[in-house]
Amino acid sequence: MAGHDEGGLRRVRVYGMLIALLGIMMFPFYVMFSSTFKPESEIFSAPATLVPSQPSLGAYVDVWTQTDVLLWIANSFVISLGTVVLTLLLAIPAAYSCARNDFVGKRTFLLAVLVVQMFAPVVLIVGLFDVISRLGLFNTYLAVIVPAAAFTLPFNIWMLYGYFKTVPVELEESARIDGASQLQVLTKIVLPLTKPALVASITYTFLYAWNRLLFVLTFLTDSGKYNIPRGVFSMVGALQTDWRMMLTVSVIGIIPLLVLFAFLEQYIVAGMTAGAVKE
Amino acid sequence: MSLAEERTRTGDDSRLAQSAAHIKRNRRAYLLIAPAAVFLVAVVGYPILETFRLSLYRSPADSTIETFVGLQHYVDIFNSDIFYRLLWQTGRWVAVGVAGKTLLGLLIAVHLKGDIRGRKFFRTAFLIPWGIPYAISAVVFRWIEHPQFGYLNAILLKLGVIEQGIGILGSPDIAWLGVVVADIWIGTPFMAIIFLAGLQSIPQDLYEAAAIDGAERWHQFRYITLPQLKSVILMATLLSTIWTFVSFDVIWTMTGGGPISTTATLVIHIYQVGLQNGNLGLGAAYSVIGFLLLLLFAVVYLRVYTRGGEEL
Repeated sequence: MAGHDEGGLRRVRVYGMLIALLGIMMFPFYVMFSSTFKPESEIFSAPATLVPSQPSLGAYVDVWTQTDVLLWIANSFVISLGTVVLTLLLAIPAAYSCARNDFVGKRTFLLAVLVVQMFAPVVLIVGLFDVISRLGLFNTYLAVIVPAAAFTLPFNIWMLYGYFKTVPVELEESARIDGASQLQVLTKIVLPLTKPALVASITYTFLYAWNRLLFVLTFLTDSGKYNIPRGVFSMVGALQTDWRMMLTVSVIGIIPLLVLFAFLEQYIVAGMTAGAVKE
Repeated sequence: MSLAEERTRTGDDSRLAQSAAHIKRNRRAYLLIAPAAVFLVAVVGYPILETFRLSLYRSPADSTIETFVGLQHYVDIFNSDIFYRLLWQTGRWVAVGVAGKTLLGLLIAVHLKGDIRGRKFFRTAFLIPWGIPYAISAVVFRWIEHPQFGYLNAILLKLGVIEQGIGILGSPDIAWLGVVVADIWIGTPFMAIIFLAGLQSIPQDLYEAAAIDGAERWHQFRYITLPQLKSVILMATLLSTIWTFVSFDVIWTMTGGGPISTTATLVIHIYQVGLQNGNLGLGAAYSVIGFLLLLLFAVVYLRVYTRGGEEL
């Protein structure tokens, strides 16, 4: 009996702690969401109220009519999807080649790729600035997509390489005997079998491109090409900031991500742990 | 014939032929990695070289005229007070940030480990701060810390901790703490998820044996969990150190490096000097110093990652 009580007490403590931690981690979201439902008079009153006294959707209407939030979302999609396509086009063949062949330079290639991941874009930004201007890519989506693809490539190559290795060669050989081309083998047999890795790759790359400010800040000065982070950043005023509008844009900007999380959480977790935890 | 044999074959003239034969036999393999390799060389490799080259020149962004100045930028940097201040500010930013992320992540992971109802829900919820734009997290924290209308001041006032609202981000003494809190919030989920995965791979019978021996929970944590988790903690803190070191979006959005440069780190300074002030040469020199520090981390990381000469 005593043991049972102790277990019960422990459970209460664990859940209590979890809920407290969740409260801390969710607090900024609560602030963000609740602020957007406050009317202008309430949001700019001190001290801040925890619960909106007269909830209103006014901020959402205002954002819709007075900012480019829809355009920023659209740009975010273009940038994210473009990065996903470019990265996968490069990563799949490379990862497949490394998984299926043993050649001089493979180890060097894979390690070099790992080192690229260490080279954060911000310490390269001066050199990248030079490359982007020489390529004449300023103010094009490619100015953001190209560097984003480069910095997501390492993760994708390693992720897919690990999974491709697990597909039995015999499966591919028998398909080849049946007359399938190598491309068919890849698209009809290998890729479907490695779907979890592909989904993890796509979500990671999508998120990376959606979330980063640096490249857009540096290479896109045309406000018609701003993505969500850049749009939010542009609403920070030197003297005056319309917090109500800015927070509302922020909420709208993360909704697609929340949907992504709800459906693909397990793949995201698989991707995050792939590099750091070795089984 | 194995690769090793192929490579250890001696004879200078036959080596070339050997290599040619090897490349020919693996032509398809090389062709498949070529696009990725060329792309990385062009978009990452070339800018690295370009940064080294630029660091030897005076090169204003608004002009095409470059003047060779040799190591002058480096001399200037090492003789300037700002550099040592940046190192100190970067050091405290990384140390406090990584410590906060590690401890909070560990705390979350340990409580999520057991037989928790709704673990998937908790895990997803804890993950979200990591997966949203840093700029958005930054503005939300700016809003929380707002001197007049912020929630933090409202709470502190209510608790009677302070008598009147404080402007955290405007104060040179504590602004960096106001920013590091946001960075910890963003970086904690990664740690929690990694630690959770690590905890779940610890054999359960270790705990059962310890329970039979009557070990206290703290002792179980101290003598089973921590040692078993050592390599995961090492890997995760190393990665987190790198990411915290290069963290840009959060600082840039919250303070832009101010007030009076007290929240600037090395990478913020790179951006200010190289791109904001358009002094590409000096910015490149700072970048090279950043490279070298990153390289140091990378070498340690690769050592840990490939420890034991495991097959890739």
